[in-house]
Amino acid sequence: MTQALERWRPARGEFDRAAAAHLLGRAGLGISRQQLERAVVNGLDATLDALFEEPEHDPTLLTSIDLLLGTGSIESLQAWWMALMLGGRAPLRERLTLFWHDHFATAWDKVRDTRLMHRQNALFRKHGSGDFRVLLREVARDPAMLVWLDGNSNRKGHANENFAREVMELFALGIGNYSERDVSEAARAFTGWGVDGRRFRFAAADHDGGEKNLFGKVGRWDGDRALELILAQPVCARHVCRSLLQEYGGSAPTAAEVEPLAAELVRNDWNIAPVLRTILSSRWFFAPERRACRIAGPVELVVRVQARLELSLAPARAAAACESMGQALFRPPSVKGWDGGRAWINAGTWLARHEYMVELAREAARDERAEAMARELASEHAVECGSLAPVEAMATILTSPQFHLA
Amino acid sequence: MPLTRRKFLIAGLELGVAGSCLSPALAANRAVASSSGERSLVVLQLTGANDGLNTVVPHRQHEYQRARPTLALPASTLHRLDDDHGLHESAAGLAELYAEGALAIVHGVGCPDPDRSHFRSMAIWHSAQLDAAQAETGWVGRLADRIDRATETEMPSLHIGAEALPLAMRGRRWFAPTLRDPNGLQLTSLSTRHAECRASALERPHSEPASREELAFLREAARTSYATAERMQGLASRADSVAYPTHELARKLRLVARLLGGGFGTRVYYVTHDGYDTHARQAPAHAALLSELSGALHAFQRDLAAMGRDREVLVLVFSEFGRRVEENGSRGTDHGAGAPVFLVGSGVRGGMHGVAPDLSRLVDGDLRVDVDFRSIYAAIERHWFGVESHHGVAPMANLFA
Repeated sequence: MTQALERWRPARGEFDRAAAAHLLGRAGLGISRQQLERAVVNGLDATLDALFEEPEHDPTLLTSIDLLLGTGSIESLQAWWMALMLGGRAPLRERLTLFWHDHFATAWDKVRDTRLMHRQNALFRKHGSGDFRVLLREVARDPAMLVWLDGNSNRKGHANENFAREVMELFALGIGNYSERDVSEAARAFTGWGVDGRRFRFAAADHDGGEKNLFGKVGRWDGDRALELILAQPVCARHVCRSLLQEYGGSAPTAAEVEPLAAELVRNDWNIAPVLRTILSSRWFFAPERRACRIAGPVELVVRVQARLELSLAPARAAAACESMGQALFRPPSVKGWDGGRAWINAGTWLARHEYMVELAREAARDERAEAMARELASEHAVECGSLAPVEAMATILTSPQFHLA
Repeated sequence: MPLTRRKFLIAGLELGVAGSCLSPALAANRAVASSSGERSLVVLQLTGANDGLNTVVPHRQHEYQRARPTLALPASTLHRLDDDHGLHESAAGLAELYAEGALAIVHGVGCPDPDRSHFRSMAIWHSAQLDAAQAETGWVGRLADRIDRATETEMPSLHIGAEALPLAMRGRRWFAPTLRDPNGLQLTSLSTRHAECRASALERPHSEPASREELAFLREAARTSYATAERMQGLASRADSVAYPTHELARKLRLVARLLGGGFGTRVYYVTHDGYDTHARQAPAHAALLSELSGALHAFQRDLAAMGRDREVLVLVFSEFGRRVEENGSRGTDHGAGAPVFLVGSGVRGGMHGVAPDLSRLVDGDLRVDVDFRSIYAAIERHWFGVESHHGVAPMANLFA
């Protein structure tokens, strides 16, 4: 037990450049040199304070979305979110938003409405670091989710189990922690929840008001009560923490690692921020085996390169490049989200990474500080560049396998 | 010695990423697939809904001339297929393949419950699911997954074209790459020194213990990817055995032929030919499209024959639906239902399949759908590739020689 708690105590030792890069890279998406240097000077606590008290995004960026949504084009919406991530004002919030987008994976391919996709994205941004119970309730009533998982066709006498199953299997409990009966009973509880004119609507006539037996508890449960019963399963907090640890730690955590965090989540009224802070300040997080141990996803990679090389990428181009590498924003391959890890890489996606990285190396080489930057990056990533010209050195570094670890 | 992609996929399986893939079906699939040799499939999508009626023309039915006062094609201009049917005059190449028995025409193909929306109908064809709103994967992608499991290839499927990856190509295991440039993959190397440095960076063992496994994986993946790219570049620049037209569709098929002829290993290709949504002034546009289609397929078939590969390669030509029998007021045609599908290759049983359209028995002004499109997919899967088929419809019989 002592050991189980020990790993979640604040890290000791020097908060050096490498530690700062690890923290900022994982907590957010990209780090500039100045941010890195500032973090080293300020130390761990102050850096975390700053991360958790991020400023709002540039208001013009947030309002520009109204114009873009009018076009109905998903590419515009992808570019807009990419601009928020590339903007770098709220890296922690955007990474959490991306994390929840993957966790509650919803694809435009079926929803076919950019306004609904944007609204769901705003929901993740607003509630992403708050009370998970609120987040789950909001997601369950989110129009894009209702379209995605067939809320409208879930009617009394014709239950559609799509949402009921995924909320248990993927969103809140994990496979093996519920019965088939729980799924079908919960589906009945959610009958009548649907979308009307881009808004959540409850159609009382479609709702099955009969008794349901959910996790052994019998009653005339409706959708809200079903969510409460799901959240009351002890495994729920563990499921959420496991996902967080996988994302921020970089590999599947053990039960012993999850347990104390799950307790902390419940103690903190299910607020994500304090638990995330515990993770990001812990000895566990800064352990050598946690550093650069995972393959960076396309979005993470692209945002990181632009921040590190101080480029100003065209968001639409960056989003398209991510798509060619296998991560089209708002278009996850299924409700399971992106598989991530090694599944990011095959001959096609690696070559897409190569091509975009060389393009960015060319861009970066135009900077007068290119040579110094290349030297610095080469030593950070242990890439031998010999007598290469800055553009070649930059390309060699950006396409080196170690650069694609995060 | 570089690991193959197979090996690093298996390393992924050990982490439990896709443990379900190790089913007993795997061994069975492998046995069947190896018996089908090196057979390949090229899916050629005619985007926008090809006017099947003015492609394979039933000129003896008087309803044809009546429904199409300005668009009906005179029998004298057609390439004869049989007593009742002729091919559009621009399709000379296809007519030649038909005469040789290398073109199968399947009449009246479509969805059992036709949908006149381009998007919905295309999604149904791509996913092979009648309720395509649910679709996350496509039939070609799922087929590539099955072939991928059974054979050793770095790139099970390849999409060539500037459009986004078609839904049809989305699989579960394999993310199909898109090659925008039909001239091949121009992998950017800035200089020889850069290429050398890149290569040596992949050889050098890295010192950080924490990242060793993932790093080793990435290094192998990168090496394999570059080797694949270089092979593709080498093959794409090989001389052609026949002269191809210069338009884009021909260049796409030319690249496919270079890869097939050079033993590149990719078994499933996807190309599109756009512009078939001919609502107004159809005649010249349609003639130009069919001329490109016919010329490209003819050259492709000749090229494969010259390389001795024509019996191993099948081209499936489809469109999301046909067009209305009656022409509209703009000398064009609106969205319809049933339409012919073409299968091209020396391995097909040439001639006509299914029931030729009867213009006196229309459904809502459209040609009837007699053949469920999924029965053709099932035939390709079972009879051409010898793998399982899961469409819930019987494969169409006798499509292959």
